[in-house]
Amino acid sequence: MAKEERKKVINRPKGMYPLRSRIEDVYKLTVKAMQAGKPTAWSMVNWWEGDSIIMAMGIEAVYPENYGAVCAAMGAAQSYLERSDAEGFPSHMCGYARNCIGYAAEMKDLGEIPPDAPLGGMPKPMLLMAAGTLCDTRYKWFQSLGRYLDAPVWTLEIPQPGVEEALQEGVHERNIKFMVKELKELVKFVESLVKKKMDWAKLEEIVTDILEMNRIWYETNELRKKRPCPMHSRDFWTCMTGCLYPAGDLKELIRLYQNLHDEVQKRVDENVGAVENEKYRLVFGELPPWHSLKIFDQLAERGWNFVIESWAYHPPKPLDLSGISDPLEKMARFTYQWLTGYYNDAYENKEWWGYFAYPYLEYAKEYQCDGALLHPLITCRTATNHLYLVQDRLMKKYKVPSLVVEGDIVDLKLFDPADTLRKAEAFEETMEHNRELRKKEGLEW
Amino acid sequence: MGAQKGIQRANEIYRDRSRRVLELKADGKEIIGYLCIYPVIEMITAAGMVPYRLFGDIREPKTKVEACLPTVVCPYLRSVMDIGLKERYNFLDGVVMAHSCEVAEKLAHIWKTYIDQKYAFFLDVPHTIHDAAREQFRDLINDFKLSLEKYTGSPITDEMIVDAINAHNQQRSLVKELYDLKKSDKPKISGVETVKVLMAIMSLPVEEGNELLEEVITEVKGREGGDNDDKKRLLLWGSIIDDTALFELIEDVGADVVIDDTCVGTRPFFPDVELTDDPLVGLANRYLVDIKCPRTFKEANFGEKKKDYMEDLESRFGYIKQLADDWNVDGIILHSLRYCDIHGYDIPGLKDYFESVGIRSIYIEPDYTEAALAPLRTRIEAFLETLD
Ligand code: SF4
Ligand code: SF4
Repeated sequence: MAKEERKKVINRPKGMYPLRSRIEDVYKLTVKAMQAGKPTAWSMVNWWEGDSIIMAMGIEAVYPENYGAVCAAMGAAQSYLERSDAEGFPSHMCGYARNCIGYAAEMKDLGEIPPDAPLGGMPKPMLLMAAGTLCDTRYKWFQSLGRYLDAPVWTLEIPQPGVEEALQEGVHERNIKFMVKELKELVKFVESLVKKKMDWAKLEEIVTDILEMNRIWYETNELRKKRPCPMHSRDFWTCMTGCLYPAGDLKELIRLYQNLHDEVQKRVDENVGAVENEKYRLVFGELPPWHSLKIFDQLAERGWNFVIESWAYHPPKPLDLSGISDPLEKMARFTYQWLTGYYNDAYENKEWWGYFAYPYLEYAKEYQCDGALLHPLITCRTATNHLYLVQDRLMKKYKVPSLVVEGDIVDLKLFDPADTLRKAEAFEETMEHNRELRKKEGLEW
Repeated sequence: MGAQKGIQRANEIYRDRSRRVLELKADGKEIIGYLCIYPVIEMITAAGMVPYRLFGDIREPKTKVEACLPTVVCPYLRSVMDIGLKERYNFLDGVVMAHSCEVAEKLAHIWKTYIDQKYAFFLDVPHTIHDAAREQFRDLINDFKLSLEKYTGSPITDEMIVDAINAHNQQRSLVKELYDLKKSDKPKISGVETVKVLMAIMSLPVEEGNELLEEVITEVKGREGGDNDDKKRLLLWGSIIDDTALFELIEDVGADVVIDDTCVGTRPFFPDVELTDDPLVGLANRYLVDIKCPRTFKEANFGEKKKDYMEDLESRFGYIKQLADDWNVDGIILHSLRYCDIHGYDIPGLKDYFESVGIRSIYIEPDYTEAALAPLRTRIEAFLETLD
């Protein structure tokens, strides 16, 4: 058996594994918490501002977006998708949402967690915490869950200004104030829901932990600028979950992220790459095909290393919050920084789509990418509508070509790995050619 | 454009939307394109410029947009972008786009990247109607005002804003008057004609639009009454329809859209702006709270602790039932363009709601091409049969 086992082409850091098993633990914990009568919530990725509050109030959160990825990866999504279609929701909608709607419909029928639900399932929530950020689906989906659940929905607000508009006088501070006001309302609402007062000291501690966790994770990803890149996108996706969907013991999470960081640092010091012969450095655009992650091993065999990926799942650029005492304001500033942290640079470069699209330009340059693999998602507009712009800007500005391969995050019928590999082979020539062009233009890589 | 009046003039402008604004432009007026119904057009009028609604063209193959917007997004927005890339909106001096929906928000940035116009503004719109969100929206409208002032070099006073609000409110009451003419058993103006008139007035300065509406109303009032007495009366709900084709198809199979809740129809016209001490407060309330578009998150009771599904539906969709009752409709067509998330998610809830109040409905999901309408004919015919 051991003989036949092929050497893993992607050198995965050991520190990734405990972070991965935490996902499982968190679901189990939430189910247990529910059984023990603890309040539970379904939450959307909200870039920390809402999470910190419900955590401080002792509400256990599960994340149906992440659960969609889990169901997809474990091959359990199809029946939920079909159920959602049968309920009358248009089938071109978000795979995560359809997975969740199908799940909720079944849970309602059965009166309990569907017995075959992966990882013990998502327990019935007392609160649905939605966010309007980046995606219409996200709050419309939770609103439409009213068909199956009697939990109230709270929709978080995060302003989404344009690059120029954000830089109008006074706008930054006003947006922060708006976010803080909204968070105060959320605190009041959750207080009335769980019938207890906010423990501000606990919130402060949680916020501090979230910031620290993000700091370490940010720095880990900075290390990936090194040639050869020490950590592959696959590990980013596995490990981002802890940071993006904070739950459970944050101190423990920090420790796990620090271990991972140290391991990646060691690789940097020892010139160890995530892929043995790094021939091509690539940026990956948007969410991966969770059900077909093996494709990255196949590409790694060809020397493709994925050195950086989509902006939305990364921590914000560093921000000094030492002068801010109110934890709500700290959180608001941090979340706003995540969205607008690239705006000043984007403005200087006259790039008008300052989040999602512009960061790729910085990534390509700083991580010295030879190409981009862009994955438009048939059921997700949000993760898709910037990709053609990205393709165009990357080429025009830095002669970095893109390979565009359509697929989906949940519906495995929509991704064709064999075709992707064929295209990848041909794309290598394009990357080589553009490498020459970049040299001629005097670009650094 | 002198001799034509009323319906004939509306038809003419519908066919050749930019004709009048091009004349105005030649006289030195500035024309500002706006997308969807959230850009606060009163502000453009107050700044002395002409608001001109951006529409797509279902009859035009989308050949240029492939390079910058993927196929999985709203085909209407793709069409608008396609037309923009084909330089058919080059007569505009500027554009204002808003966070009406997610893709519209993104389109604002893409448009600004690819289409060079003297002025471009993106108006963010909060998702909720919480108090803080209303205040925020008031301030965002103020940002828009400041940016227009910077562009024109002249201040926009409260008085100018109030005048613009009054002119647009007048337009709104004229549109309501027009729709009132469709309440009777024999509606004097058809769905097809209504769309043409509305698209025409969204291509004119507000005062000219009001004149046109007055002419249309006088003309229509003088009509004998339509031949619609045996036609089924329908309500059309949903995402944008900026063409007569669907209305023609519906008429063809023996029905008429007597009332709608769409963003070329009643949605941008029915709610008025209340005149408040600070006029921006009234504008913020009207656009954020009073406009009934599913893009804004609303709920039965703000801060409710348990959701009552039927109560929630009643609070979100009760106004549609009211329209259905007032216009005495036989059935409802629910329309969500392919890839329109904010309308699509409401479909099962709307179906549940109308079922609970005993109104039949059918859901259609065309993709903004003429070809996609043909197969709908049989479905709509079959639906009409169920209404007997
Ligand atoms: S961003 Fe995409 S994947 Fe996420 S909720 Fe929205 S549509 Fe779904
Ligand atoms: S049809 Fe839907 S997706 Fe398209 S612009 Fe309107 S709301 Fe947005």
